[in-house]
Amino acid sequence: MAPSIDPAERLLDLVIALVNTSGRMTKQQVRSSVAGYQDAVSDEAFERMFERDKDTLRELGVPVLTVTDARHGDDVGYRIDVDAYALPPVQLTPAELGVLSVAVQVWQDATLRADTTRALTKLRAVGEGPSATDLLAGLAPRVRADGSAFGPLVEAVQERRAVRFTYRAASSGEVRERTVEPWRLLARRGGWVLVGLDRDRGASRSFRLGRIQGRVRPVGAPGAFEPPTDAQLADALAAWTQGPERTAALAVLPDRAAALRARAVDDEAFDPDAVPGAREVLADRDLVHVRYRSTWELAEEVVGYGSAVVVLAPAGVRDAALDLLRTASRLDIPAEVPRA
Amino acid sequence: MPERAPDRLLRMLGMVAYLDAHDDVAVDDLAAQFGVTPDQAIADIDTLWVTGTPGYLPYDLIDFDATAYERGVVTLVEARGLTRPLRLGGREAVALVAALRSMASSLGPALDDERAAALRSALEKVTAAAGDAAAAVDVQLPAAATPQVAAAIGDALARGRRLRIRYVDAGDRTSEREVDPVRLVTDDERRYLLAWCRASQGERLFRVDRVVAAEVLDAPAEEHPLPERAEVFTPDGGEPVTLHLASQGRWIVETTPAEAVRDLPDGSFEVDLRVVQPAWLRHLLLQAAHTVIDVRPAQVAHDAAAFARRALAAYAPLLPPGEGG
Repeated sequence: MAPSIDPAERLLDLVIALVNTSGRMTKQQVRSSVAGYQDAVSDEAFERMFERDKDTLRELGVPVLTVTDARHGDDVGYRIDVDAYALPPVQLTPAELGVLSVAVQVWQDATLRADTTRALTKLRAVGEGPSATDLLAGLAPRVRADGSAFGPLVEAVQERRAVRFTYRAASSGEVRERTVEPWRLLARRGGWVLVGLDRDRGASRSFRLGRIQGRVRPVGAPGAFEPPTDAQLADALAAWTQGPERTAALAVLPDRAAALRARAVDDEAFDPDAVPGAREVLADRDLVHVRYRSTWELAEEVVGYGSAVVVLAPAGVRDAALDLLRTASRLDIPAEVPRA
Repeated sequence: MPERAPDRLLRMLGMVAYLDAHDDVAVDDLAAQFGVTPDQAIADIDTLWVTGTPGYLPYDLIDFDATAYERGVVTLVEARGLTRPLRLGGREAVALVAALRSMASSLGPALDDERAAALRSALEKVTAAAGDAAAAVDVQLPAAATPQVAAAIGDALARGRRLRIRYVDAGDRTSEREVDPVRLVTDDERRYLLAWCRASQGERLFRVDRVVAAEVLDAPAEEHPLPERAEVFTPDGGEPVTLHLASQGRWIVETTPAEAVRDLPDGSFEVDLRVVQPAWLRHLLLQAAHTVIDVRPAQVAHDAAAFARRALAAYAPLLPPGEGG
């Protein structure tokens, strides 16, 4: 028996054969003529080998097309149309390739890291020269994303294919099956979020990937749901879009809240007479202006400083901070039910 | 671990496309282009040379210039139809675009003009190459630090220099320390600088938004042995505290290293924490107060409530009489 052929070499021979075939190749032709398939010791072993190789190629972005031919009845043939799966014309400089090789290190999850590595391998073919690796070396942030939900969801968004998963709702603690038409994946402070149409509710919903339990399973065929209209999508994403940058005025005790002071801006002038009582508060405090986008995020941050930081304006941030403080001031009163 | 066949296949396909566009490439350059050793590049070329269309007679095979190859130069003579670089798969494109966007939003102000330009153009080109796939993800992460601090951290990491930082801890205490930076770490909530702290002689995760000043020193950063899970905050020791929370407090276990979580039949749950910094727990309780059902030990709840009452008192001049809290 001839020495067995390396799997990578067999896959390469299969690609070349199916790219160059004049019309299509049948399974039998593959088995008898493509190098490597003669190693199969039985019909069953050949079937397994060929199916696995087709799956591998599909995963790599080289789908093997099934071609039926009226003249041959049910007899199925295969070919690969490389032009249809070619990268759009692009050239990458060594510096850009260097950036991409750092991007590979971003993901802590092995699945995502493997996906990124493959993308890099493909793009190296269109590099003008070897990557300049020192440009961003050591600068890659490490991002935790749980690939077990992320990978299948990315695929489902791409394929416009509904998914089903078990989800724990934060509002009620209820654990339930959800069937969702996935629209977008968002990276936000607090983790990854899936936005899509919840089929049972008939409305768009957001799902934190961290609250998905177990596997994400595809449901139905690819392309089987209508994509959202621009208005539907904008509506669903509104809650996740950062607001405009605004400025808050804070009254800070001397030598306190250095982290807030470090990002102080001085191009805003709060008028102490515009807010009753502000002059009194500022008598022994410094006036500090900071920029913010989210009212609740800033309110949550400043309450951590306790009496060292008082929000003067705007009223929205002040009320949010007061609300947190009032609720917390009752923490040592035993409660039967959660505080409203 | 031996390389997986699909990864080697991808590289060999890439090599043919690359060599179709570039004549006379030295083996060492080809190896560098694909990020492998020269020996691996030679093994890949040798494999490519014997592959081709069925029949596998000389004219069926991928072919290189043998004379040039003897001189260590690779010149493709026959590509057998493999000249087109492969499109990015959906997951590949999304993983790469999302990684680049995370870098852009995390490093943004930390980069000098040259690096920022390379990151921007790489992201633009990859986004274009990814096509529709790029729209599947949307990355919006908050800026981590002031531009000066971010730039100093970026510079120190890129050049392997020691940093002097002014750091504010969870208890609002400011200290100055010299650190040997290792890398930036992002979790779901925040950015951290993983660094060796010379004062405490150990690795520490510094919240980047609490670094209020940073100066790059001339001394090189020394290498220090780091434990495997240095990137994950794992408090050793600390006081055991148990929180009983309503379901809406679920985010706490998603963002906080918990020792144990017990789901209760009514949808609420208990979480056991180890608390090294009381100020950190107090801040957590202030943010989550509306979901807190019970805290053990009770003194912890009492401290947080007293802290909140003192803060409310500071607001008194701003509030109408009788609304002091």
